[in-house]
Amino acid sequence: MSARPHADRRPNLFARLSLRQRFYVIAILLLLPAVGLRVFTAFYPFLQTAYLSFHRYNPAFDHGGPVFVGLGNFQRMSADPVVQASISFTLVFVLGATFFQLALGLAVAHLLNAAFRLRFLSRALVLIPWAIPMAVAALGFRWMFDDQFGMIPDLLRSLAGVEMRWLIDPNNAKLAVTSVAVWKSTPFVALVLLAGLQGIGRDLYEAARVDGANAWTSLFYITIPMLLPILITTGMFMIVWQLAVFDLPFLMTGGGPGYSTTVIAQKIYLESNSLNYGYAASISMALVGIVAVVGVVGLYLFRRFDVSM
Amino acid sequence: MSSQAATRSQMSPQTQPGYRSALFARYGESILVYVCFALFVVVIGLPFYFIFVSSITPSTELFNVPPTYWPSIPTLDNYARMVESIPFLTYFRNSVIFGVGSSAVSVIAAGMAAYALARIRFPGSNIIYLALILSVALPQIAVLVPMFQTFNTFRLVNTHHGLIIMMSSLMLPFTIMTLVSFIKQVPAEIEEAAYIDGATTVQIILRVLLPLIRPALFTMFLINFIISWNELLYPLVFAHNVDTKTLSVGLTELTDPGSTYTKPWDMMSALSVFMIVPVLLIILFGQRMIISGLARGALK
Repeated sequence: MSARPHADRRPNLFARLSLRQRFYVIAILLLLPAVGLRVFTAFYPFLQTAYLSFHRYNPAFDHGGPVFVGLGNFQRMSADPVVQASISFTLVFVLGATFFQLALGLAVAHLLNAAFRLRFLSRALVLIPWAIPMAVAALGFRWMFDDQFGMIPDLLRSLAGVEMRWLIDPNNAKLAVTSVAVWKSTPFVALVLLAGLQGIGRDLYEAARVDGANAWTSLFYITIPMLLPILITTGMFMIVWQLAVFDLPFLMTGGGPGYSTTVIAQKIYLESNSLNYGYAASISMALVGIVAVVGVVGLYLFRRFDVSM
Repeated sequence: MSSQAATRSQMSPQTQPGYRSALFARYGESILVYVCFALFVVVIGLPFYFIFVSSITPSTELFNVPPTYWPSIPTLDNYARMVESIPFLTYFRNSVIFGVGSSAVSVIAAGMAAYALARIRFPGSNIIYLALILSVALPQIAVLVPMFQTFNTFRLVNTHHGLIIMMSSLMLPFTIMTLVSFIKQVPAEIEEAAYIDGATTVQIILRVLLPLIRPALFTMFLINFIISWNELLYPLVFAHNVDTKTLSVGLTELTDPGSTYTKPWDMMSALSVFMIVPVLLIILFGQRMIISGLARGALK
């Protein structure tokens, strides 16, 4: 008793722990809110989605709860033309948009990095498309692309002599939705690439210039190889993020004309609204599967090129 | 710039070899930069010009062919009708509660987690970090139905705190990633010195680390406020009454029974301006911080 007076005066559990154990307790307490939130809104509902994807569940009809159907939902998906159309448009949209976001983003990053008097202005302006609500951009461009009253067809007609109908033509509607995604997110990509550009030493370019390199050879032999890890991570991030896009096509075209601009997320939304919870869950699993494949390919590419640097 | 270039060309002898490329190197490059800058300003600015002009154009003139590029008589009628069509002030208040609440919760929870992940060595810390970060790839829409059922069970649908819980959780991965990389840059020696002086962990976090990472926390607060201010899907699905709907939901609700056109662009553009202005103010105020915050999160 008298050997451990300290423990007797403070008989709480925490004081009896070793120093190392105390740190574990503190770490757990600090992580609890974040982990709790993610479990509650991501991990646990995801397990439920996985469970539902093998069940037929429409709360309006299946009063006894979900009915196990095995791979039934996935068979139905493979025969559903809307699902196929939405997957193919989503892939075209995401890959096309990401390519142009990276290419134009690199160009804009050079502009933001150039030494000129209005540089501060360009850096403030570049944030604006990223920062405004997607809903505002989607509806604004819907109006601007309008065949009768829109400014874009009118400007194209009067300035370039191009006569184009946008949102009522399936292919042009796809092009229009993709362009808005490029307009909205290129600035974000540019900002990330700008940080990468600033990390490349000037001496590399000077040495190349002495050896007779011009702007193009510097771009392809210095800038792009040096930025490759960032280009890959940013590209993967944009692909994964845009695979789940919902608000842009939903508000800009409503998925139309027909189903030409319906993305996977909107198909899930439609099925959920029709209370086909089981079917919606199986399409969700397909979307998660696509995201996972992209993620694995991205990690592979990143490791391959990052190690070689 | 171009007049300077012109005077120089009169002064210099045209026969000098390599003169053209030298001139280009000197002025052509900066002219090119300004041309690119002008193009950049037009591409970024034109949509905002159209949205703004539409908002002050009388709705009858809005449906002119060819379109009006500047109204004959600018008017604020569209704003007046928009405010009558939806409970604008209530939605505005809801958007502010949603934005401030979500960003505050996400920054606090992410800050706590980031400290544990960056500073305390414990088994499984890498796995927890990886799981938190990778969960960013889970599409919102893929877990919407189960989430709705759970939130319904806990009576969290149509409540501010329910919306704040899901939105702050959505922003956690990116916020944690950014804050971990920031805390790792702060030298641990300062905290160790405080520890040797007898400070407790809570004291170290609040008195030593917090002042050092306050700029990063504030940056993430601004970024997360912008992201939640712009969010559509969660409020669209989880807010069904006037007391919780946000402005982005209001944008989808505007309808004009008097018009044959399905989308009342006159009112939409007016509301759009109201949704853009707060974001513009934040950018004017915190441009430098936001740029560094976005780049750090994406690079690390």
